[in-house]
Amino acid sequence: MSILIIGLSLSFLLFLLAAGLTLIFGMLGVINFAHGALYMLGAYICYQVVTMTGSFWIGLLVAPLVVALLGALMEMTALRRVYDRDHIYQLLLTFGFILVIDELTKVIWGLDYKQVPTPALFAQPVELFGSMIPSYRLFVIGFGAAVSLALFLLLDRSKWGIVIRAASADADMAQALGIDVSRVRTAVFALGAGLAAIGGAVTAPLVPIELGMGFSIIIDCFIVVIIGGLGNIRGAILASLLIGMARAAGYTYATEWVELITFALLIGTLMFRPAGLFSVKGRTA
Amino acid sequence: MKTTWLGTALMGLIVGAMILVPFVWTGGEAANLVALILVWALFAIGFDLVFGTAGMLSFGHAALLGSGGYALAILTVAHGWGFMPALGMAALVGAAMAFGLSIFAVRVSGLFFSLLTLALAQMIYVLASTKLRGLTGGLDGIAGVPRPALFGIDLYDNDNFYVFIVVVFLIGLGLMALLRASPFGRSLRAVQANEVRAAQLGYNVQRLRQAAFVISGAYAGVAGSLLASLIFYISPQMLHWSVSGDVLIMTVLGGKGTLLGPVLGVAVFELLKEELSQYTQYWYGILGAVFIAATIFLPNGIAGLFAPRRDRDKGEGR
Repeated sequence: MSILIIGLSLSFLLFLLAAGLTLIFGMLGVINFAHGALYMLGAYICYQVVTMTGSFWIGLLVAPLVVALLGALMEMTALRRVYDRDHIYQLLLTFGFILVIDELTKVIWGLDYKQVPTPALFAQPVELFGSMIPSYRLFVIGFGAAVSLALFLLLDRSKWGIVIRAASADADMAQALGIDVSRVRTAVFALGAGLAAIGGAVTAPLVPIELGMGFSIIIDCFIVVIIGGLGNIRGAILASLLIGMARAAGYTYATEWVELITFALLIGTLMFRPAGLFSVKGRTA
Repeated sequence: MKTTWLGTALMGLIVGAMILVPFVWTGGEAANLVALILVWALFAIGFDLVFGTAGMLSFGHAALLGSGGYALAILTVAHGWGFMPALGMAALVGAAMAFGLSIFAVRVSGLFFSLLTLALAQMIYVLASTKLRGLTGGLDGIAGVPRPALFGIDLYDNDNFYVFIVVVFLIGLGLMALLRASPFGRSLRAVQANEVRAAQLGYNVQRLRQAAFVISGAYAGVAGSLLASLIFYISPQMLHWSVSGDVLIMTVLGGKGTLLGPVLGVAVFELLKEELSQYTQYWYGILGAVFIAATIFLPNGIAGLFAPRRDRDKGEGR
């Protein structure tokens, strides 16, 4: 039972990050290497707010806003300048951001681990089907589901969603129809960054916050995004569930092999189904 | 990208001057720094054959550097091999590792190639630090990596070892110059310029890419060995993804797709590191900012400054 709960909470976390990553890819055509760094920044900012105000909930609200703002800034000052160049340059830029963000984090918060206490509301474990479950995990699942649902409504049902999808599908056409594509790009990058920060803030009470957390999560995210199919949000859901559950089960039964098996899964997918396991279209890569 | 004749000569002059510095300023300190630059430059030259010439952004070159370094360390320390045979073997191991990775990696291109090489290298890193503990010494690494013994000269003296590294570097540079000018180098450029067209013209694109990757692996293997021998030590740190990132930064700073650009890039990187780290422990972040600025404003790196005006700042990196 606890494997199921841990797996589900992990899956939703991964999905929040992967959704941002895949959204950015769909719109900007770039894999954001700095996504993990933004996630880490979300966790640190949450920690900062918690130490200043004592409330985790304010942290959960503030962190995504700050990081989204930073994301918009990154897009407007740097990424925007290289869209007309080879894709490699966009990758290079986001890689450069990792270095700068990591270093800024080191300057502001230092090298030692930070800890965010579990919010009082969810401090007590609850009994579920005969086993004790940390209730914060249940909150993560519920919160993750709520954010995911909101994201779907935004993309699928709202006018903004139509604009985003139109601009992703054909930027020139959307531009000709009067959509300010460059503003949409900024917004999508900010949204993706914000989602990464939500993931970071939600994780903050679960793990020690440290500098390496960005890189370890980014590899998992790449795996999810690729298995799900780049730019394919629905695929990302299934892939998050697959990886999240596999990790939770793996940590319980075969700790030493978890990393290797996830890597093997990624390599297999990239070789045989580069468009993702859940793509219906033919091979696109 | 093509640099002018004068530009190439200028860059050659700068590199030549840099190599001569330790001969004037003896005492080991300068030799150590320039030796480090030359070893990394050897790595970067090989990396750029894949990145700048063949147009594939590999994020897994740390695995190639590290496997060469480990090959030398394990053969000399644990099996008592001589340095020179072990160095040759390290080149082969680097190439073999590259061949192994390429079986998976050259099947995909573009972004997927970057991600796949990153994942593969990360897997090697995990393997070396955990599962292969018996062979690699795990996270502790292997200490006491030796230096070569040649003609009775004491190569544990930094000034003498420096001469050895200069010789290896010049051989590597010369071979790469020949390779880049050869029909093989030209066809790699064709693949980068237009993959589909190159395939239609009858080039075996996958085979060419694979060959470039394997040669690059041999360079990385030699560089990894020399690095381990220079600092007498190897650990999984040499396999870490940030090594792949460093060589990428160096190559972009210097100018991808040129012979001497990566060498200059390494020099700038190491000198910046040397200077900045005296004033601030946060030099890596400043370097990141420099890197971002270079990506935006100087897409062809330092070598781009030596290019004909009409070719500059287009960021096509051809």
